[in-house]
Amino acid sequence: MNHKTLPLTLLSASLAAASLTAASTVLAQESHLPDEPIRFVTPYPAGGSHSLHAGIITAVGEEFLGRSLISVIRGGGGGAVAAAEVAGSTPDGTMLLFGDPTINSLRPQVEDLPYEMDDFVPVARINYSPAIFVTTPEQPFQTIGELVEHAGDHPDEVIYSSDNRNGFTYTVFEMLKGAADVEMRGVELGGGGPAVTQLLGGNTMAYAGAPSVVGEHLEAGTLTGLCVTDIERQEAYPDIPTCQEEGYDVVFQFWRGVMAPAGTPDEVVAELSDGFERMTQNEGFLRLISQIGSDIQFQGHEAFAESLAAEQAALREAYLGE
Amino acid sequence: MIDFSILQQGLAMLASPWTFLALSGGLAGGILIGALPGLTATMAVAVLAPFTFFMDATIGIPFLLGIYKGAIYGGSIPAILVNTPGTAAAAASARDGYALTLQGKSRKALELSLFSSVVADLMATLVLIVVAIPLASIAIRFGSPEFALLYLIALTMIATVSGGNAAKGLAAAGLGLLVACIGLDPMSGYQRFTFGNTDLLAGVSLIPLMIGMFALSEILMQLTHPPEGQQTAGDVEHGGERLRWAEFWVLRPTILRSTSLGTFLGSLPGLGAEIACWIAYGLARGRSREPERFGEGSLEGLAAAEAGNNAVVPSALIPMTVFGIPGDTITAVLIGALMAQGMMPGPLLIQQNPGFLFGLFMVLLVTNLLLLVFGLFAIRWLKQVTRIPHAVLYPCVLLLCVCGAYAVNSSTFDLLILVFGGGAGYLMRRTGFPIAPLIIGLLLGPGFESALRQSLVFSNGSLAIFWSRPISLVLLCLLVLVIAFLAWRGLKPKGATLRLPWSRRKKPHNANGGDS
Repeated sequence: MNHKTLPLTLLSASLAAASLTAASTVLAQESHLPDEPIRFVTPYPAGGSHSLHAGIITAVGEEFLGRSLISVIRGGGGGAVAAAEVAGSTPDGTMLLFGDPTINSLRPQVEDLPYEMDDFVPVARINYSPAIFVTTPEQPFQTIGELVEHAGDHPDEVIYSSDNRNGFTYTVFEMLKGAADVEMRGVELGGGGPAVTQLLGGNTMAYAGAPSVVGEHLEAGTLTGLCVTDIERQEAYPDIPTCQEEGYDVVFQFWRGVMAPAGTPDEVVAELSDGFERMTQNEGFLRLISQIGSDIQFQGHEAFAESLAAEQAALREAYLGE
Repeated sequence: MIDFSILQQGLAMLASPWTFLALSGGLAGGILIGALPGLTATMAVAVLAPFTFFMDATIGIPFLLGIYKGAIYGGSIPAILVNTPGTAAAAASARDGYALTLQGKSRKALELSLFSSVVADLMATLVLIVVAIPLASIAIRFGSPEFALLYLIALTMIATVSGGNAAKGLAAAGLGLLVACIGLDPMSGYQRFTFGNTDLLAGVSLIPLMIGMFALSEILMQLTHPPEGQQTAGDVEHGGERLRWAEFWVLRPTILRSTSLGTFLGSLPGLGAEIACWIAYGLARGRSREPERFGEGSLEGLAAAEAGNNAVVPSALIPMTVFGIPGDTITAVLIGALMAQGMMPGPLLIQQNPGFLFGLFMVLLVTNLLLLVFGLFAIRWLKQVTRIPHAVLYPCVLLLCVCGAYAVNSSTFDLLILVFGGGAGYLMRRTGFPIAPLIIGLLLGPGFESALRQSLVFSNGSLAIFWSRPISLVLLCLLVLVIAFLAWRGLKPKGATLRLPWSRRKKPHNANGGDS
């Protein structure tokens, strides 16, 4: 048995050494956080962009928050299960949700879920990505204008890959359909992986996804970018116009941010927000984030609360017309 | 064609002692994780992937691949020894594997499982290396209608594991499909049968329920119906005799079939080892000369299930290396780990970093040989498990089951599901309802539902989509053939063996079909 455990021991020893050097500067200042590890809950199954970001955050976070972080991956119900669990946990900063617009802004307003939008207080926005509308080079439309025209001439015949009801892709297509006043049919495929597969396989005609999902295919030329749902063009894809430039008012920034259960003391929220801010300024952290094709657009708890409230109001108007 | 600098670069990676060490460590850890019920390969890879971000790619990625392979193989160990599949992919192996253990042939079963796994894995890896690109370009043509039909074909395998009583088998499968409906509707997000319970939104977790049905109910059976001293002391040799070469050699058509099937299913993005093992098992029984032995310790059945699920591992890497699309949830995590190393899996990796890719392929082949060594070493100890008195063994199994069921989702609700599954499984065993169909129904239900409903969205509600597409037409014909074949076998009057030329005109020994 010994010769099996040896490599494992060696490996864990080197792992421990690596993380020790990273965590050598634990902050000495007084803390409002309970003296226990923080559980950082990812609401989606392992393998998506959320769990990838969470893996990096929990691996390096201790140095900046003064508490070790435990990554809890709790998928199910499109994120609703984990959100409900965090919403019902003790509000003392020991359990945090890695939230996003669908979980924290859209679905609680349009679906009957076991938690409310107000069950959470924003702590820190880590980053956001826009969606890029894409198609394959074989399709009869190669710009967003041609797509809308084609959909107008053939109502309900453009079939696109969607993710989940009220998900990221679902929402931007709803916005496009509303802005351009056309009918298209979405097939909910459950996630970016199958959605791109069906598009590449010729079963669907269009898709809109994060740069981390479609980026490589744009570079390889297997997908064509139509427009991006941001207020300015992406640095990496300067040739793809924004949807606004093309005349369709579709702006949606899919943020990833840390949410705490409502009732968490203000000083705890502020301390966590500061900790995450220091983390997002760290070079090592930034290098890891850039390696997964992502970057940082940090917002502290105050700025994040403002932009979140604006987003929630905009979605209420778009979906419920209030 | 072959660029020697690439070969050199790949081989250099393999020669590094650190790569080798990481690989061995991952493999040993993976076997252990797979063998512990509830700890899955997906979870292990997902939890350990962030640590590889800090390692060199030539150490981190082989480490993860080692875990992946080890865990898929490891799942069969508890399935064989204590009727508790360590992973969902090993559920089919529990049937004949555990039956062999009860007959005092656990060593033979463990060795057969190891050899079938290694051979299947080796062949599938060669397929990955040689024909990944053409295979992937066929696989990507498979859309939702084709998936729906593949799920239907897999569902017909219920007939082969229902045992003597088809009605009870169908009832169990129906129950499994119903349980699969619990949770959020995959298309509209509507809550079904959740009764306002938040934990049920995600549906009934498969792994806790499966552990309950297999392991907990087994323990309850041991409590109320202790085996009649058939395998206590006086066993000739611990674990019984070794697998003889001749026994393995006659299985080569079975293993070859299962491997081709597993390789093909694995290359379809989204289908994993859990479904491949059952189709392989059903196929082997259909082609077998002694189908009545399936479920009663058939070497063919065990070899088919194990070859089927292990062949999926290398071929799930096909969509990843060719298109950058995950073949299953584990490869999705692997893609993340590769990206963190600055390598985008997919068409660009082949062009930009062929040396690394070649090195990975070499690592896969070497992992296989290591698996053989580790496995043989482990079996020397594992066969002793059968010597442990049941009074000690089963409490340990129970403890591992509870920990494993909790670990899947870090959810206490899953422990209730475990207990519920145990109770239900016990009642089903006592009343003669087979458990396997229920598990198949639960496993395939959600995938089938999504694929079917997606197809109908594609076609605007018309069923014609299932025969208007060339691939789905072929699959539809296959489905009809499978059903016709099963019906012909089932309706064939007993004793009419003369019509069955390849059955060696052997009279079936047990009239009620054998399986239970």
